[in-house]
Amino acid sequence: MSTITKETAPQKKALQTSVRITDDDLYRHSSQYRLWSFTPDSISQIREEINVRATAKVHQDLKVFLESHPELSSEERGAIESKAIPVSTQEELLLIGYFARMILSFAGKMNLPTEVAATAVSFFRKFFLSNSVMEFAPKEMFHTALFFACKSENYFIGVESFAKKAKTTTDAVLKHEFKLLESLNFTLMNHHPYKALHGFFLDIQSVLSGKVDLNYMGQVYTNCKKAISDALLTDAVYFFSPPQITLAILLMEDEALMMRYMQLKFNLGSEIETSKDDSQSVPQADHQNSINAEKLLEVIKSCKAVISEKIIPAKEDAVRITAKLHYCQNPMSVIDRLKRQRETSSAAETPVQTPVQTPVPGDLDTKRQKT
Amino acid sequence: MAASSQFKQLEKLGNGTYATVYKGLNKTTGVYVALKEVKLDSEEGTPSTAVREISLMKELKHENIVRLYDVIHTENKLTLVFEFMDNDLKKYMDSRIVGNTPYGFEMSLVKYFEWQLLQGVAFCHENRILHRDLKPQNLLINNKGQLKLGDFGLARAFGIPVNTFSSEVVTLWYRAPDVLMGSRTYSTSIDIWSCGCILAEMITGRPLFPGTNDEEQLKLIFETMGTPTERTWPGISNLPKYNPQLPQHLPKDLGALLQSQTREKMDLTLIDLLYGLLQSNPDRRLSAKQALNHPWFAEYYQ
Repeated sequence: MSTITKETAPQKKALQTSVRITDDDLYRHSSQYRLWSFTPDSISQIREEINVRATAKVHQDLKVFLESHPELSSEERGAIESKAIPVSTQEELLLIGYFARMILSFAGKMNLPTEVAATAVSFFRKFFLSNSVMEFAPKEMFHTALFFACKSENYFIGVESFAKKAKTTTDAVLKHEFKLLESLNFTLMNHHPYKALHGFFLDIQSVLSGKVDLNYMGQVYTNCKKAISDALLTDAVYFFSPPQITLAILLMEDEALMMRYMQLKFNLGSEIETSKDDSQSVPQADHQNSINAEKLLEVIKSCKAVISEKIIPAKEDAVRITAKLHYCQNPMSVIDRLKRQRETSSAAETPVQTPVQTPVPGDLDTKRQKT
Repeated sequence: MAASSQFKQLEKLGNGTYATVYKGLNKTTGVYVALKEVKLDSEEGTPSTAVREISLMKELKHENIVRLYDVIHTENKLTLVFEFMDNDLKKYMDSRIVGNTPYGFEMSLVKYFEWQLLQGVAFCHENRILHRDLKPQNLLINNKGQLKLGDFGLARAFGIPVNTFSSEVVTLWYRAPDVLMGSRTYSTSIDIWSCGCILAEMITGRPLFPGTNDEEQLKLIFETMGTPTERTWPGISNLPKYNPQLPQHLPKDLGALLQSQTREKMDLTLIDLLYGLLQSNPDRRLSAKQALNHPWFAEYYQ
């Protein structure tokens, strides 16, 4: 919890081997900080590299496919080349974002605890920081991530009943479980901003005691909790600590409340200092904190900016990208499709719009059979 | 990631809560390791106990906590590669039984082990992790006299609020009375009780409260520590398994009781520490940090 809760050293003489560990220190020792913190540049580079690697593999596979099918006509070859296109880094991100969001709604439908859903989203997104959607289908991985999150968050659910609720098979849920564990570098502990929200919520009430309406605060809490779940879909989780994300969310929810709190808590901004009714009850205890409030506010604002950049991928995008993946992995299906098109529309030369016919993620096969 | 071929499997060391443990040799480095083999259940995949142990051990790097070096996956099993320790506290205590008479440790060794135990526990608690299954079998020792916490198969992370934990954890003998009475809001104090029981056992060589079932376990505790009442432990009557008909026992002199079972001299600060760890009321139990600051350990921090 960087720059937020610095506790003063205990009055007693500290033991040489057990000096008071601050929450800052704790967080810095966590695998979440050590292994899963990135800068915007470093994370784009990682994603770029994964995409380049997977793209090369797709091209290679297509080349092998075309070479082993000399019977294909030039029209058919052209169709494959125009349909089976590797997805871009941006498209990978969109698809991952789409399914990450789906984890949240899915977990909601299954009545899974918020933290389990949050951990599943985290697992899922981290998995694609070493694997490409061209290598592992997000549609399969999101079940795996959710089930594995249940285990690691100690929320028991049998794989049988999970698969049933998810309308998939137990094999599909478990197939890539170890790959997931390995991709996570065996670090499964997640610190989510919900706990920080609870803490700040209590602290705001005590710092602004008598100045806030409790019902209103309840509403703020509920909205923030929801907003945190959304923020977990952004890269803010890789750039900021959980309490920083929480403060950014609070700032977005009610800026006036937040500024007031920060003013009283961290002695922020002398321009608000003069406002009328707080002359008497400024809690002195916190002022000895060596927290640079201006700097903190700056960090929170940049966090807020990252959270605000969130993209809600449209279903059409997911469908379009999934279709590309499908054609890359099954070039023959392009030919099949071409043949069907020839049969049905041999008379009229009306080109059929691809998105209408391409399968919807989630029930690729059923849709295909219908066409 | 290491490959399984990197390790030579040696003799079996024992069975953990969910796995078999072998001694292993890292062929490249020549270093001994403990290989914890987890059968991959074809039904449920990786057992959740293993998942939790991996999750926690990856966060806990401390000299009094056994290190998890690596995880290896082979077709139907998962192998957790741990730091190798020569022995565990249970076996070490058993080795000191002469004839039928158990002997406790020299007081300096008791103190050194308990200090390390509390250091490890304090670190877990700082990291918001409860071990929940502290017992001599899970305390690993080596020839240098180091003691490390092992087997985090039952451990779990805790946040706020701490509730709805299963009450079916911790081996009976080291289980706190609040847990025995069905408390589901236990926290760090659960591990402290175990530290108290282990301290007494290291002194005498005998388990302090060797109950065979929940009722007997509580009876043994209260016979020695006194039956708690609503006055000594506010809220006790609200515990799910609280029995108002409990026979009322007055607390015994724990110091005298233990002193009669050891030739080592027990000083008053030690007895005071024991009482601090073995408070029936969890709110009155010392924290691991407080215990480490106790005067009995003065020689370590002065």
